Amino acid sequence: MAKNTSSSAFRKIDVDQYNEDNFREGEDDAVDSAAAGPDENEITSLLTQGKGVEALLSALQNAPLRCKNQHVKDHALNITLRVLLSIKSTQIDQAIDSVEQNDLMDVLMKYIYRGFEIPSEGSSGHLLQWHEKAFAKGGVGCIVRVLSDTNRA
Amino acid sequence: MPESYTFGASLASITCHAWNKDRSQIAISPNNHEIHIYSRDGSDWKLADILNQHDLRVMGIDWAKNTNRIVSCAADRNAYVWTQGDDGKWKPTLVLLRINRAATCVKWSPAENKFAVGSGARLISVCYFESENDWWVSKHIKKPIRSTVTSLDWHPNNVLLVAGSTDYKVRIFSAFIKDIEEPPSPTPWGNRKPLGQMMVEFRNSQSSGGGWINNVSFSSDGNKVCWVGHDSCVNIADANNGNTVIRCRTGYLPFLSCEWVSPTSVVVAGYSCVPLIYSLTSDNKLVLSGKLDKSQKRESSGITAMRKFQSMDRNMRTENTDTVMDSLHQNAITSVRLYDGDKASAAKVSTSGVDGQLVIWNVEEGSLNGGMRNLQI
Amino acid sequence: MAATLKPYLTAVRHSLTAAMCLQDFPSQVVERHNKPEVEICSSKELVLTPIVVSRNEREKVLIEPSINSVRVSIAVKQADEIERILCHKFTRFMMRRAESFIILRRKPIEGYDISFLITNFHTEQMYKHKLVDFVISFMEEIDKEISEMKLAVNARARTCAEEFLKRF
Repeated sequence: MAKNTSSSAFRKIDVDQYNEDNFREGEDDAVDSAAAGPDENEITSLLTQGKGVEALLSALQNAPLRCKNQHVKDHALNITLRVLLSIKSTQIDQAIDSVEQNDLMDVLMKYIYRGFEIPSEGSSGHLLQWHEKAFAKGGVGCIVRVLSDTNRA
Repeated sequence: MPESYTFGASLASITCHAWNKDRSQIAISPNNHEIHIYSRDGSDWKLADILNQHDLRVMGIDWAKNTNRIVSCAADRNAYVWTQGDDGKWKPTLVLLRINRAATCVKWSPAENKFAVGSGARLISVCYFESENDWWVSKHIKKPIRSTVTSLDWHPNNVLLVAGSTDYKVRIFSAFIKDIEEPPSPTPWGNRKPLGQMMVEFRNSQSSGGGWINNVSFSSDGNKVCWVGHDSCVNIADANNGNTVIRCRTGYLPFLSCEWVSPTSVVVAGYSCVPLIYSLTSDNKLVLSGKLDKSQKRESSGITAMRKFQSMDRNMRTENTDTVMDSLHQNAITSVRLYDGDKASAAKVSTSGVDGQLVIWNVEEGSLNGGMRNLQI
Repeated sequence: MAATLKPYLTAVRHSLTAAMCLQDFPSQVVERHNKPEVEICSSKELVLTPIVVSRNEREKVLIEPSINSVRVSIAVKQADEIERILCHKFTRFMMRRAESFIILRRKPIEGYDISFLITNFHTEQMYKHKLVDFVISFMEEIDKEISEMKLAVNARARTCAEEFLKRF
């Protein structure tokens, strides 16, 4: 057969990705533009006042889970990690008890796992304590929800 | 007391099971391409027949109670309808599914004149019998399913079908086949629509994303639909309440199967190996109302504490390497079926799992109140 | 340092228990095939969020779950050059015999020392809680083995040097 095109690049494209029936990620997810992440100034002031528990609740409630912008998410991650690491070991129990709503427990667990990905001096040990206490309250179902949720922290 | 059975010598996982009308026979698939029919022989089970038509693993079996037909579907893209001859042996009839991927689940409709098959081809085949050619033909429901269909259930009106899929959605479709039935009257889910039209779609979760749907089930009146997803949640949607979804986050491992046992309670079971009952309370919340597995922590027979420490020291074991789990099922439960009663009020349910056991539970004993009833001072 | 070992292993145990909820799933892409979705990654909806559990900057475990398979990658503690060499040789020895191991992967994931691939077929044939126990005890044992080997190497080196230097 005579070649009528000089380029055979068309042979290398993955036809399956153009299949209309494929699962499209986040097609009908409403982009939550309101959640721009926790307010850094508010959190910092709460931390300097020693109100670690309130800072944690504020960070969790304003977590930008549905935002598509990775920078916003990374920024929120750093703030939340700062809160988690500044709450002392003796205060962890009190902090966990104050997390009333079930879905905030899931958000907390997500941030704990994200915190493990960027270990710094002594952070992993502290996060392991958080993990133990959060698991005691949320059960293995909490970890399962971290795995299955497509809205990542 | 729960009754537990195993079938055959090899403890192969039971992929799925189905009962006949009077529960004297059971069809199971031991994790391969065969279907074994066992009939009750006192307190034991005797192998009655082996149905050997599929090439790959059997994914679903359903037994039509009144017409005594078995439908099976497998990963080889085929489904067969089996009818029992006078000699007691089962003969297959071809089903033209026209799918190009594995079939994953199958259910007879309540009137048993049609059945639905879910598949990895991202569609549902609704099949009915065509007598001229002596085979079952199918019509497809395709849009807007975007991934493998994992589970199906029929509405009591024989027309509506609910499907759960790995694209995190639960959808209710109309599966009305005009050649074989009369148009249905309107239901709370909507007015009648032609085949393949979607009535309602639910996301697995409103607040978070993800979570494959593992199983779906209509309630006895068809106005509520229950589903369990891979995010360890049990959800119930009520058509009479504006399609609101009541969700219960659990601390257990995900559930693989759910079944209604009363108008307000469902039995769920899955990777945690214990069947649980969740009920709707009067203020529209879903709460855990009972556990069917009351097994206590096992005491190994006859081993004293001294012996245990000695063996630990000798074998240099530092941990308790107990293989046996505390629950009756030793591995995940994959299927829950009604054994005694119906969706409106069930007395017994049967569960089968990856450990190769089939257990029949009393629903009453499981509930937290029921357990007290037999106690006497 | 040793104080973090137990919480680390407990956290890994719970994460593995959650991730090892596998079900049989025939391929959506190729008919009549059944592939581990975590390796193929053909359909995004079938793969779950990967999680990391770390004990410190060097020791961590990456768990990548999917609908029918889970990949567990372990980064072993390697404090100095000799531990690095010993770990590399030890894991290479095991990975060459991956078939006998059943759940071992022949190549580790980038950034880690050894990887396991556990599919639904493995969880059907073996108890899930015992598989988790195995991975945890593997993590404990590998540290012990490498320390032992290091001691043995140092002892041999010392003996050799003594013998050699006796001449002078």
